[in-house]
Amino acid sequence: MGRYAIRRLLQAIPVLVGTTFLIFVIVYALPGDPIAALGGDRRLDPAYVAVLREQFHLNDPLLLRYWYYVRGVFSGDFGTTYRGVPVTQIFQGKFGVTFQLAMTALIMEAVIGLGLGLLAALRRGRWEDQAVLGFTLFLVSIPPLVMGFVLQLWLGVKLKLNTGLDIFPVAGNAEGLRSYLLPGFVLACTSIAYLTRLTRTSLVEVLRADYIRTAVAKGMSRRRVLGRHALRNSLIPLITYLGADLGSLMGGAVITETIFNLPGIGQQLFNSVYLRENTVVVGIVTVLVLVYILANLVVDMLYAVLDPRIRYE
Amino acid sequence: MRVTNGAKIAAASALLALAVAACGGGSSSPGASGSADTPVRVYISEPQNDLIGGNTGESGGAEVLKALYAGLVDYNDKAEPQLEIAESIEHDATNTNWTIKIKPGYTWSDGTPVTAQNFVDAWNFTANSANAQQLGSYFSIVKGYDALNPADPDEDGPKTAPPATTKTLEGLKVVDDSTFTVELTHPFSGFETALGYSAFFPLPKAAFGADGKLVAAESTSPITNGPFKIAKPYKRGTDQTISVTRNDSFKGGKAKVANIDYKIYTDPETAYNDLLAGNLDVMDTLPASQVANAKATFGNRYIEGPSSGVGWLGFNIKTGGVYATNPELRKAISMSIDRKTITQTVFSGTRTAADDNISPLIPGYRQGACGEACNYDPAAAKQLWESNGGSAVKEVTLSYNADGGHKEWIEAVANNLRTNLGVAVTPKPYEKFAAILDDLGAKKVQGAFRLAWLMDWPLPDDYLRPVFGTGGSSNYVQYSNKQFDELLNKGDAAPTLDEAIKFYQQADDLALKDLAYVPIYFYQLNAAYSQNVKNVKLDPFEALDVLNIEKA
Repeated sequence: MGRYAIRRLLQAIPVLVGTTFLIFVIVYALPGDPIAALGGDRRLDPAYVAVLREQFHLNDPLLLRYWYYVRGVFSGDFGTTYRGVPVTQIFQGKFGVTFQLAMTALIMEAVIGLGLGLLAALRRGRWEDQAVLGFTLFLVSIPPLVMGFVLQLWLGVKLKLNTGLDIFPVAGNAEGLRSYLLPGFVLACTSIAYLTRLTRTSLVEVLRADYIRTAVAKGMSRRRVLGRHALRNSLIPLITYLGADLGSLMGGAVITETIFNLPGIGQQLFNSVYLRENTVVVGIVTVLVLVYILANLVVDMLYAVLDPRIRYE
Repeated sequence: MRVTNGAKIAAASALLALAVAACGGGSSSPGASGSADTPVRVYISEPQNDLIGGNTGESGGAEVLKALYAGLVDYNDKAEPQLEIAESIEHDATNTNWTIKIKPGYTWSDGTPVTAQNFVDAWNFTANSANAQQLGSYFSIVKGYDALNPADPDEDGPKTAPPATTKTLEGLKVVDDSTFTVELTHPFSGFETALGYSAFFPLPKAAFGADGKLVAAESTSPITNGPFKIAKPYKRGTDQTISVTRNDSFKGGKAKVANIDYKIYTDPETAYNDLLAGNLDVMDTLPASQVANAKATFGNRYIEGPSSGVGWLGFNIKTGGVYATNPELRKAISMSIDRKTITQTVFSGTRTAADDNISPLIPGYRQGACGEACNYDPAAAKQLWESNGGSAVKEVTLSYNADGGHKEWIEAVANNLRTNLGVAVTPKPYEKFAAILDDLGAKKVQGAFRLAWLMDWPLPDDYLRPVFGTGGSSNYVQYSNKQFDELLNKGDAAPTLDEAIKFYQQADDLALKDLAYVPIYFYQLNAAYSQNVKNVKLDPFEALDVLNIEKA
């Protein structure tokens, strides 16, 4: 198991180098001069532009620029933005916010998704099942953008104005955990729906299996049958889904973070692509790739824990 | 049915967790009434650069600078200059040699007095392109700018500019602690007005390190001389709030509120929701989609007025198609644009129809200066178009940058032209404005493109010279009219501002006759504020009047 993990981590190195290089080439291939973009509609003084181009090696060939970048990264220097902010300073403040948001969303997914799925599976065909089905249909059919603005207006603005209950802040992360509830839910919405359905299907299938009938016939308590046999065996597809989802939650927070003005990495990534802040884009994507690789590794490790038949040696 | 119970318990505990979290955070939010010390919360977009006058050329940073710094002059409600730190600003008969005396008693937030040397140091620093300050080129009017910034002999070519032999502007001389003189390269009657722009703010001695560069602390907690000072270090790129607190020793007047928080938003829609919920007090740029709602919701707490921005359609008058090079055809195009309907419907009233090249905010603006060329008259337009050979035009192109919300009005103009002139029109989106400039440089733009200009200082010359003057920084159409340039120069050399404005207006008339840029719309100021504050005023630069705002 340990050797397997180390092998997987070593495999990640070429993946990381490859992605950074690809991203590096792609962001610099985008049209538009990043320095000229600093001035908006105004033409900047040529002397000012020349100094900045020199400072950021923009006159050098792409490969040389990549070499400067990689050299910097290995000495812990991710460069600075064209606006003079060190990229590491952006990382420090922003990854924490996105991580907190992604974890809130993940926990909501796991609790609500598994809970509803369980309920639907056990009440298969009855009104509870139908209600859960309807609810998930509702969740997937509303785009996150709409969901975000509607919930912000109803629970953030109107609830406070009409009842005086200041439960969900409209924007920002100044209120700690409370600030993440609404954005976390918006981010988790689609996944909650998928996870609910996945849990239901998976559990329904397992409950029909012979070994469950055997267990029941043995006179095992219902709780034990469900907990030890049914749930555990239906968890593998769910864990796969959750693991892959963590990556997309980290990267997919662009809309949510913008609506709720959370200073996280998604918002930053969008702005940086827009402003051609190439060093920030490459840095963020590199870290996201790393998160993705690690999350998938953890998922693969969990398989072995859940299913003793799976071995990695 | 134990498991079902279990599921119920799981669901119930999830709700409980929500409720507990809701209670836990409640105590940290301030009450609606607010004590005297709770900050006034003001909307801004993220400042692009450090909070230094010479490096701040966009609205987010300028808003904060207004609270942190005081310049030589400030502007009154009519956008006229009035002395702030300056005791007197005098010039000789040629308008090129200026003597500036400063009032005693202004201090920096580190306790040192504001001296003439502070201005000269800051200007020398900003003007030196090696320091990469965005507003450095504003000092090209000061004698010695060329020596400080030697030109690159072959522009983009392999040769590099020779190193500068000096680190100071020859035209700046400190006479004593409270007096300095400025020698300009040419007469400029508007120099006093220009001095209120952030490029001309001072910097304290402590801001500079031994190497002549700014010390690192200036980027997080700058030493300032304005009515407010930084309350806690601001980490740009990370922090969402810039907190400032009143500077009680500020000589220019005592602010009525003790603290201001500038809150940084990426999306104005979000900020508007925060304003509705009472989590934000002042928002000076309402999103266009919410303006109609805001009028109804905020009533007398909604502010509307002219802003300094003007939007044009510029024509490639040198290398463009026949309709771009012929002034009569340009006029026909201008007359076929229904400015009023476009500003009311497409912009929902956040713009007004333009009838001058100069904003209504500026002394020197004349209502209807553009005359019939800016009046919507489809019949006359069609006639003018056809009598000047417009029927032969196959296609009109309208270029715009797709990142700035221009698509809708450009499409509306395109429809006007199609209907009224019977010509095929192709709106051509570019990814960024800079990309349009690249194509203009490569002579690939056939027709018109959009351009907008916001003032640096409230004088007509700040609109006319950069946009229409020969070699002007935003004269992307290569318009060059000797008579026009001469009139501007006459204005610059005029003994008083009133006389200068008369010359500027004559120059404006020429520009309006030639129509290299056709004025389309004036920007509007649309602001609103919460019930927590009163006496909210915005200056001509749309920055909050921090001295007069009060808690309600």
